[in-house]
Amino acid sequence: MKLIATAVLACLAMFYVSCSTNSSDTVVVYTTVDQVFSEPVLKDFEDQTGIKVKPLFDTEETKSTGVLNRIIAEKDNPQCDVFWSGDPVRPNVLKYKGITTSYPSPVAEDIDANFKDDEFHWIGFSARARVLIYNTELLNPEEAPQSVFELTQKKYKGQVAIANPLFGTTSFHFASWFHVLGDEKAKEFLADLKKNNVVIAASNGDVKKRVSRGDVWCGLTDTDDAFEAIKEGAPVDIVFLDQDGLGSLIMPNTVSLIKNSPNNENGKKVIDYLLSRETEAKLAISCAQMPLHKGVKTPAAVPQLDNIMPMKIDYQKTAQKLEDIQEFLKQWVESF
Amino acid sequence: MKKLLYIIVIALFFFLVLAPLLSIFIGSFIKNGHFSIENYARIFTGKTLNLLLFSILLAATVSLASTTIGGLIAFFVVKTDVTFRNSFKFLLLIPLFLSPYIIAVSWVDFFVLLGVGTDFIYSPAGVVFVLSFIFAPLSMLVISSGLTNISSGLEEAGLMMTSRFKTILKIILPLIKPSIITSLILVFVLSISEFSVPAFLSVNVFVTEIFVQFSAFYRHEAAVANSLVLISMCVFLLMLEKFYLADAPFLTVSSKAQRIKITELNRCKIPVVFFLAGYLTISVIIPIVVLIIQAFQTGAAALGKALKLLAPTIAGSIFYAGVGALLLVLFGFVFAWMTEREKIRPINTILLFVFGVPSTVLGIALIKFFNTPVLSGIYTSFGIIIFGYLGRFIFIVEKLIANALKQIPDSFDESAQMMGAGFFVRLRKILLPLVLPALFGAFVIGFLLCLAELGTTILVYPPGVSVMPIKVYTIMANAPQGLTSAMSLVVLMITFAGLALLFVGYRFLNGWTKKRCSF
Repeated sequence: MKLIATAVLACLAMFYVSCSTNSSDTVVVYTTVDQVFSEPVLKDFEDQTGIKVKPLFDTEETKSTGVLNRIIAEKDNPQCDVFWSGDPVRPNVLKYKGITTSYPSPVAEDIDANFKDDEFHWIGFSARARVLIYNTELLNPEEAPQSVFELTQKKYKGQVAIANPLFGTTSFHFASWFHVLGDEKAKEFLADLKKNNVVIAASNGDVKKRVSRGDVWCGLTDTDDAFEAIKEGAPVDIVFLDQDGLGSLIMPNTVSLIKNSPNNENGKKVIDYLLSRETEAKLAISCAQMPLHKGVKTPAAVPQLDNIMPMKIDYQKTAQKLEDIQEFLKQWVESF
Repeated sequence: MKKLLYIIVIALFFFLVLAPLLSIFIGSFIKNGHFSIENYARIFTGKTLNLLLFSILLAATVSLASTTIGGLIAFFVVKTDVTFRNSFKFLLLIPLFLSPYIIAVSWVDFFVLLGVGTDFIYSPAGVVFVLSFIFAPLSMLVISSGLTNISSGLEEAGLMMTSRFKTILKIILPLIKPSIITSLILVFVLSISEFSVPAFLSVNVFVTEIFVQFSAFYRHEAAVANSLVLISMCVFLLMLEKFYLADAPFLTVSSKAQRIKITELNRCKIPVVFFLAGYLTISVIIPIVVLIIQAFQTGAAALGKALKLLAPTIAGSIFYAGVGALLLVLFGFVFAWMTEREKIRPINTILLFVFGVPSTVLGIALIKFFNTPVLSGIYTSFGIIIFGYLGRFIFIVEKLIANALKQIPDSFDESAQMMGAGFFVRLRKILLPLVLPALFGAFVIGFLLCLAELGTTILVYPPGVSVMPIKVYTIMANAPQGLTSAMSLVVLMITFAGLALLFVGYRFLNGWTKKRCSF
């Protein structure tokens, strides 16, 4: 009995101690970027500034939406200072819900205006691209599709995988087609993809796995997943699609300041750090992301933005488009 | 004094778990400050109802398959003299303590290694296959407790009059019918709420709809409305079971049962050992071997890295799981006492309702309720994780303890009462020593469940806090397969250590209480 009483008291004491109050030397960062890549960057910030970072990461199992749902649920009493997203979709959701605030970081002045929100609710940095990953044991380089429209050809029937377009970067990729092609053509294209028995995978990581294993010949995924597969020694290669047409979709990381957050000033410091050349150089090494600042040194294997023809889209309008087409995408997925 | 204790426990449970859930459910009926059923209207469309029907069919198949397999195994390990029965009893429980997601990943990898393609596994049949292996140990556990409670006298009487086969058909099966029905319903409820396996295997089910509302549309109220349909169905089934089975035991971890009549297998012993060993290979060894192969593909480096990554989370996770299990046992004991001894039945219904709530809904409810300027001290502490554990597992822990209480005759308590002993003296001197092994069993099972909890914890864990399952899943996203497999193995080793603790502690406490209670 005494043992139980002591244990209960010890727990209460721990509970009391852990009821943290936000002190001036802390900052809370929620991120959807994979922990293996984001954690070392935040650790470096902590070492350089002495400001303690309390990070919160997301999981593949929740399609990296756990953190966003949490920020939305916390709206009336924000706990998070900075939201670091792996794509520009989620910060737009937060902006429309009135959760983020403007912060025009001076560090990002030389980043292209296209990668920034008009009102600076988010600013982009270190980008990934949407690419085609193909299995080199099943397809020769010359047989690999060079355009996204080739994926509807009969010869690729049942041999193309894409992640569920209701989530993550794939949803933005689909929205970009609607933005660029117009609703009618995009819907026609999706109908053709469905007719060609495109395989809906659980996630981009799952696309990578299915192509690496040879379940399908090729699939659409993000550059970091594709480079990870190459690093693991899988028999795969990548293609930047539509280099003489639509161009490849470029997906920057984004960072946003949360409105009325408890450590707003420290939040701005984290944002400045994430938007710096130093961070872009680190992310280029760790996950082959392409810097948006000009002249950042990167490993030879990392593609340069200057060498890729990007898809010409307005990120805010595309994010808005995504909201409009989500019901259609849901029906499209359910039709399989 | 006793009533005060009840009031405190009920008030605490209401504040920590029920109030958050009630507020979020009430919120789903309100739009722009007015009563509205808009969130519910969209559920009753042909498509959604078809999806619900498909999910019911899928869950019913899983439930039937797990109960059949689990029942057969339970019969062999409880009622026969099969060789290694105790080892089988322990080893076959392992899938229950592995994450369903990890099991699904290893099964897909196994089919790939086998070179037979993945068409089967990425299909509704694949979902049934994986979930049946995941839930069969639960059926085994439930039906084993039913078999343990059969009076050997009844069986012996039957055997004097007729054949072994007819005794099984006419005596054993009717006697364990409550356990079979409990297993069918429990597995049905768990499989219809399971999200990670169907999602990974690309099979659309009703619970996916809840997830899509949350994670693609960010319509929390609509997701809550969807989940209320699921909860209502689960509660209805569980209530049916309650009415039908009345006081039949649900699950026991104590062995204060009847003397068990053991059937001698004779010539059938070897085939039965082969059957159990085969099943063990398929359900436990294959998934673990796949994990080991992947973890050691590049030598032992991945395991070292996994240990290094998980090391900072181990102590914290064990502490949170320990506190969670302690709280579960404390609440579970009081609730069990109230339902079994005081016959306050509505407690059961309330716990059933909480059990049916999807983990994501519970997480959002806790955030919305506790993340206010007044209560944010609680929200930003580890306490919020513990409240999540309480909501998720109190039903199971309460049942474990209630069934142990059921086996203690009222006469013990009444005799002491007649001798003038007060409630707390009777509790300390009579009931606690008798129920201690079951409390310990409930603690360890609660501990293991808390240690693996992900769905609610991912939504509420405080920034800067590291918990083991979350670390595995956050690393999993883009880490090499070898590393995630190695991390799963490390988690598995810690879980095994917990299970070993269960068995050692159980033996020790059983011996100790037997000594103390030998009148």
